[in-house]
Amino acid sequence: MSLLEIKNLSVEFGSQHNPFRAVEGLDLTVEQGEIVGIVGESGSGKSVTMMAMMGLLEGQGRIVADTLQFDGKDLLTISARERRKIVGKDIAMIFQDPMTSLNPSYTVGYQIMEVLKIHQGLRGAALKQRALELMEMVEIPAAASRLAAYPHQLSGGMSQRVVIAMAIACSPKLLIADEPTTALDVTIQAQIMDLLVNLQKSQNMALIMITHDLAVVAEVAHKVAVMYAGQVAEMAKVPGIFRKPAHPYTEALLKSIPEHSKGAHRLSTLAGIVPGQYDRPSGCLLSPRCPYVQDKCKAQRPGLTAIEGGVVRCHYPITAKEA
Amino acid sequence: MSTVLQARDLTRYYDVAQGFFKPAAQVKALNGVSFELTAGKTLAVVGESGCGKSTLARQLTLIEPPTAGSLLLEGQDAATASKAELKAMRTKVQMVFQNPYASLNPRQKIGTQLGEPLEINTSLSASEREERVRAMMTRVGLRPEHYYRYPHMFSGGQRQRIAIARAMMLNPRIVVADEPTSALDVSIQAQVLNLFMDLQEEFNTAYVFISHNLAVVEHVADELMVMYLGRAVEVGAKEKIYSRPLHPYTQALLSATPSIHPEDRRIKIKIHGELPSPLNPPSGCTFHKRCPFANERCQQEVPELRALDERMIACHHAENINS
Repeated sequence: MSLLEIKNLSVEFGSQHNPFRAVEGLDLTVEQGEIVGIVGESGSGKSVTMMAMMGLLEGQGRIVADTLQFDGKDLLTISARERRKIVGKDIAMIFQDPMTSLNPSYTVGYQIMEVLKIHQGLRGAALKQRALELMEMVEIPAAASRLAAYPHQLSGGMSQRVVIAMAIACSPKLLIADEPTTALDVTIQAQIMDLLVNLQKSQNMALIMITHDLAVVAEVAHKVAVMYAGQVAEMAKVPGIFRKPAHPYTEALLKSIPEHSKGAHRLSTLAGIVPGQYDRPSGCLLSPRCPYVQDKCKAQRPGLTAIEGGVVRCHYPITAKEA
Repeated sequence: MSTVLQARDLTRYYDVAQGFFKPAAQVKALNGVSFELTAGKTLAVVGESGCGKSTLARQLTLIEPPTAGSLLLEGQDAATASKAELKAMRTKVQMVFQNPYASLNPRQKIGTQLGEPLEINTSLSASEREERVRAMMTRVGLRPEHYYRYPHMFSGGQRQRIAIARAMMLNPRIVVADEPTSALDVSIQAQVLNLFMDLQEEFNTAYVFISHNLAVVEHVADELMVMYLGRAVEVGAKEKIYSRPLHPYTQALLSATPSIHPEDRRIKIKIHGELPSPLNPPSGCTFHKRCPFANERCQQEVPELRALDERMIACHHAENINS
């Protein structure tokens, strides 16, 4: 049985009469100890999917799914009380901006210990000892003195380490990292990525990396899901998906990275932008921008079909020929 | 080949209040930087937060005078220029900022914003101004009906096009672009980079392209300047530096940049620790605390920029570590 199993998940916002589907028919499975990358541009539904799963959209979005299971528990029917026991303990999340995900009024030590108090019931010396261990696990130098520091006294990279320490405090089975390195400098980004991957291995956690940077997931992920306008366009194993992308959107994303067009004067681009609430086409969502578009694409939405090593949502997937 | 800009030992210090009873401290944001800029070419400035990239941009756009050193714009010295001359010089250097959501006035229509530089700096009539604005809008890929729209009606990529159009309105000799694509999605980034390249070809503008993304820089740059804590550590032609980086910091930056095809990468060096505070920089070579090759000499003696293998480099051990 998979650790996380999502089948046909949809999230709607807005009124009943005029709903906006931020996520539509999403399938995702994550095995224990697996690193999954979710890649897509702004507005493709990456973050909303994870928020829906963790129950953080309460009262805002309407969530519909066939299956939404984590570790054998059904997250759709679970009570809020029980959900609180899972979220923060078995599922933990790291957000993009470490400066805003820490509370500026409390010391980082207090914030780490709060997690341990609530979920593990630790008290006194054992509590402090465990907090110190965690700070050392995320390689914060002079950990003992840093427990008393406030978030504003730490740099961005250090704050992100504290956030990671809080996330792994209860040895979660699944860690979700939402753009964990976007706000950081390159050398610090490399350090944080190393740290995440090392922790993932030593704790045998599953790790979901949400990012818009293909290169970040290319180096670490086992499997990548490329999202476009709320749907999974392609999901396949690494490095296959980067060597031979099957979906035109994956191919276009890869081509628009400067690394791809070394020496060329112009970068290859995909014209236009991700469709918004009111301009979603009736056929394939990519059809207005797709370079290989045909009549069938404009009329009919493609479903997911199986390909070697994954699935793709396209009537005419790119096959055989070298991308 | 004409030189449009010469910077010699450009230096800028800021006084920082340390508290009521303590004397003000000095931040050496820019510490003796020299370079030349050729018409129609791009100089890329690369470095992490706090390395003085943005201070450099403020000097080049004549927003602030340097503490020491000189800046020659088409042979004219900014330090000795009169107020009227300075005003004329400022029209030759324009800037594109990182965040297009903050750099456009939300209360002005696009047509008005693009016409403003002309209204202030030229004696063109209103109809001539409108004609020029419309011509530039077409040039950067905006539609005629956008003339009467407000910034909030545009996407991030379109806003950056507007910001670029505004910078190009006075046909400047130099455009300083401070992280112009880091707030954009990859596919949009490719569109904006192509626009930059096309405009350069058409108007023979020199660019100073400030970025921390080495993949983007590799695509746009002719010359490269790598900065660390207010100093240039390696300066030279892009091909030379990318094919064989000599400074340990350049090597670390290159190996920290994630890549779609990680197996292509030759250099693997990891650096530890965080960027030191510019308020209290390390003695000697400012990089010695993070450098894997540092020895006693690095702690005491500041390395000067010197010529080596067709570039300038500031490292005591450049020959030894690269042989």
